[in-house]
Amino acid sequence: MRRVRGRLGPNLNWQIIVPVVSWALLAVGLGLAVCFVVAVVGEGAVIAFGAPAAVVLPLALVGVASGRRLRSMPLRARDGFAAVTVAWIVAAAAGAVPFLLHGTFAQPVDAFFESMSGFTTTGATLLDRIEDEPDAVLLWRSLTQWLGGVGIVVLVVAIAPATGLATQRVFYAETSGITAERLTPRIADTAKIIWGIYLTLTALGFGAYWLAGMTPWDAINHIFTSVATGGFSTRTASIGGFESLPIELVAITFMVAGGINFGFYWTALRGRERLWPQAAEVRAYLLILLGASTVVTASLLLADEGAGVGGSIRASAFSVVTVVTGTGYTTADFDEWPAFTRLTLLGLMFVGGCAGSTAGGMKVIRIMLLGKAAVQEVQRQLQPKAMQVLRVRGRVFSEEVRRGVFAFLAIYLAVFFVGTLVMATFGLDPVTAASSVAATLNVVGPGLGDVGASENFTAVPDGGRWVLSALMLVGRLEIFTVLVLLTPAFWRPNIA
Amino acid sequence: MRVIVIGAGEVGQHIARTLSSERHDVTLVDADAARVEALQGELDALVVNGNGASPKFLRELGAGGAQLLCAVTHSDEVNVIAALAAHQLGTERTVARVRDAEYFGDDDSFARDELGIDFVINPERATAEDLAAAILLPGAVHVEYFADGKVAVAESIVTERSPLRGQPLGNRRIVKPSFVFGLIRDGRAIATEPGHRPKVGDHVLTAAAREDIEPVVAHIAGRANRVRDVIIFGGGRIGLPLARSLQTTPGLRVTVMERDADRARRIAEQLNDTTVLHEEGVGKEALVAHGVDRAGAFVACAGDDRANLLAALHAKQLGADLCLSVVSREEFMPLVDALGIDAAFSPRLVTAEAILRAVRGPNVHGMYLLSGGAEVVEVQADRGCRAEGRTVAQANTHALTHVTAIVRGGRVLIPKDADRLEAGDRLVVFNTRQGLAALDKTFDAAA
Repeated sequence: MRRVRGRLGPNLNWQIIVPVVSWALLAVGLGLAVCFVVAVVGEGAVIAFGAPAAVVLPLALVGVASGRRLRSMPLRARDGFAAVTVAWIVAAAAGAVPFLLHGTFAQPVDAFFESMSGFTTTGATLLDRIEDEPDAVLLWRSLTQWLGGVGIVVLVVAIAPATGLATQRVFYAETSGITAERLTPRIADTAKIIWGIYLTLTALGFGAYWLAGMTPWDAINHIFTSVATGGFSTRTASIGGFESLPIELVAITFMVAGGINFGFYWTALRGRERLWPQAAEVRAYLLILLGASTVVTASLLLADEGAGVGGSIRASAFSVVTVVTGTGYTTADFDEWPAFTRLTLLGLMFVGGCAGSTAGGMKVIRIMLLGKAAVQEVQRQLQPKAMQVLRVRGRVFSEEVRRGVFAFLAIYLAVFFVGTLVMATFGLDPVTAASSVAATLNVVGPGLGDVGASENFTAVPDGGRWVLSALMLVGRLEIFTVLVLLTPAFWRPNIA
Repeated sequence: MRVIVIGAGEVGQHIARTLSSERHDVTLVDADAARVEALQGELDALVVNGNGASPKFLRELGAGGAQLLCAVTHSDEVNVIAALAAHQLGTERTVARVRDAEYFGDDDSFARDELGIDFVINPERATAEDLAAAILLPGAVHVEYFADGKVAVAESIVTERSPLRGQPLGNRRIVKPSFVFGLIRDGRAIATEPGHRPKVGDHVLTAAAREDIEPVVAHIAGRANRVRDVIIFGGGRIGLPLARSLQTTPGLRVTVMERDADRARRIAEQLNDTTVLHEEGVGKEALVAHGVDRAGAFVACAGDDRANLLAALHAKQLGADLCLSVVSREEFMPLVDALGIDAAFSPRLVTAEAILRAVRGPNVHGMYLLSGGAEVVEVQADRGCRAEGRTVAQANTHALTHVTAIVRGGRVLIPKDADRLEAGDRLVVFNTRQGLAALDKTFDAAA
């Protein structure tokens, strides 16, 4: 038996974790460098981006270089979880530095909250007046969301020299979904395809926003946050500030596109006939969006909000899409809507997009499986001897998946409930407490009450900001990756 | 004809026995020395111990000069290899039993055209197809299709409600063009005459065009209820393909009962629209719990004949409408009638059908073996054969058979005695005696 490595508690292979984290940091550093250029050309914040870039880039390169000899070293599951979680925390910390240096925020917690909200594509902000910030800061907010959209680690896997099993572990620890799916025999190729699709969507969306009437500057900022289903905007009034139907339609299109399983695009492009499981999930996802928009429109019309049929449809569709995909743009202040509508939107936050997309939430496929499994549980009462198979469009899911989705639901709800209680201890009212947790755990952004669509998160006390930052990460990494690190077994040395 | 049979199991022995009784030279090969020893004196055939998949061994046996090789060991792989080797050595025709559909699926053209295996037979699958056909034709207990599916030959049971009961067949009301040509009574098949009066419990054989068979059979059986619920007892090699083919039928609910939990889970995963139950019991309580008493059809196709017969008997007594059972071993066949089970299906008979077709050559296109040694075969009237231009009555006399349906130019004719046969006619013929010597002489120009 090997000697206990006492100093760091868990038996982790830091020689592998450090390079993975360094690659993620390298991506962050390059983003900082881009903003540095913008700052130099534009109106300021040169030091705010130049200094961290100057520190982060060499550090990241050293870390990356340290891993060059270790390519074939095996990475265990625990190392994968640790590497991904650490990479995200380090990226968010590095991303917070410019906010502090420029003076956007005075407190470290605020800068970290904003940065974490960016990387996890939540879109919750502490800024009162966004227009006051220099271009470089605005671009940095958008860029963090774009980098975090399909995942920093997926980017690492795509660009870093392949490290075999190691990359696979971190890939699955970061991407969302219920079963390990890959599009190609080599995981690095899968990551490249995902990023290729992501870049293509970004390019298309940039053109679309531009055509719809945005300036190229606004277009680039908004497509970064639309396709990533992030939600940061260059305006305090968000997309609503443009007061343009074409822009809203483009935003809806690319939020929806970002919430679709990227594997679906790939299989659809290759004309594969077996589009399962993505096709069924995408169809359910679109039906949910359509059905929810109809319900919300109807509720607005019945409540006679005075927006008219066209206006109600427009406001409802946008709000439903932004909430379900976890983007968090706003056009209408849905906090003013009837209680039924507000609660519907709160529930929709938990749905999320498809597995393997940039969206947050529980994911449509899990909801589908939960629904089927629940119906089967009821049927089992009548026919206890019937063999029940969890199946979506002919594709059979194992009993482990059945257990997995129930466990996920239980833990998700537990995290939501405990999170809400914790937020309530900070003195928030119940609606604000619950919706702030729902909005961050599902990486949506705006909630209800004091953190509603027309507000920001400044109503939340400092302690609550730390808690919500953590919830964003937990939600973005789909709970298990982070939760594993909190189990006693993880911290017990000597257990592989 | 020189025939090599690889594998002396249930099916191999049956083939060897049938073929040797038809005066063919049979060599039976098995890898089990003890079994070979035991069979030495029992068969009028050469029984040899050896590995049938070995090309060296096959060469020593003289496979190159054999007209037919039947590979029917329990191993699909051995069967395929033996057939391939024999084909390469020069055996005229090869038959391989391949039970796993993973190999060739529904389409055996790859095996035939690319590998040179003339017949790939999957007896369990074929049995499942027969069972499905019987369930989907209300009033029939067995149905077989000939001439690319144009002609149906159905076996149905005369019941209390049947208008045929006690009436001379000649007076029967003709619903659609059809021919009640045969009668199975007390396990013996006989050709009908207009004066025959069917009794309750007799099985009658009817030929008609495919589109006409349903009303005809419904009329004969005196009932026309479509089966709405089918319960399949046993989700094995027969139950699974049967459920798979039935579950797509609109308005038909399929339930499979399987004893083994793992197997039940596996088949549940493969069947989209079927209820799969994990049920260990064969007793009445278990059957009632799953609605066997109200089922339109009950099919017993678990691996064991005894369990099948017991379950089918229970189901019949509980009131299931149509009770079918798979019976693999010949010695259990007499029990089927005695227990009141509607019909028995045998993978062994299906295999024999395929192999007898292979033996009898290219002029025999289809075959349906009945209990009691009778058979229904599909033959073609060759140009220049003795039957060309003769009447049906003359042909029947020559061939000692009964022409039950003619397919001419794609149309189905139910023949009358005075109709004349033309070259190129496809004939569905009922033959009460084994062997086709007379049949060949009548319809085959070369014979």
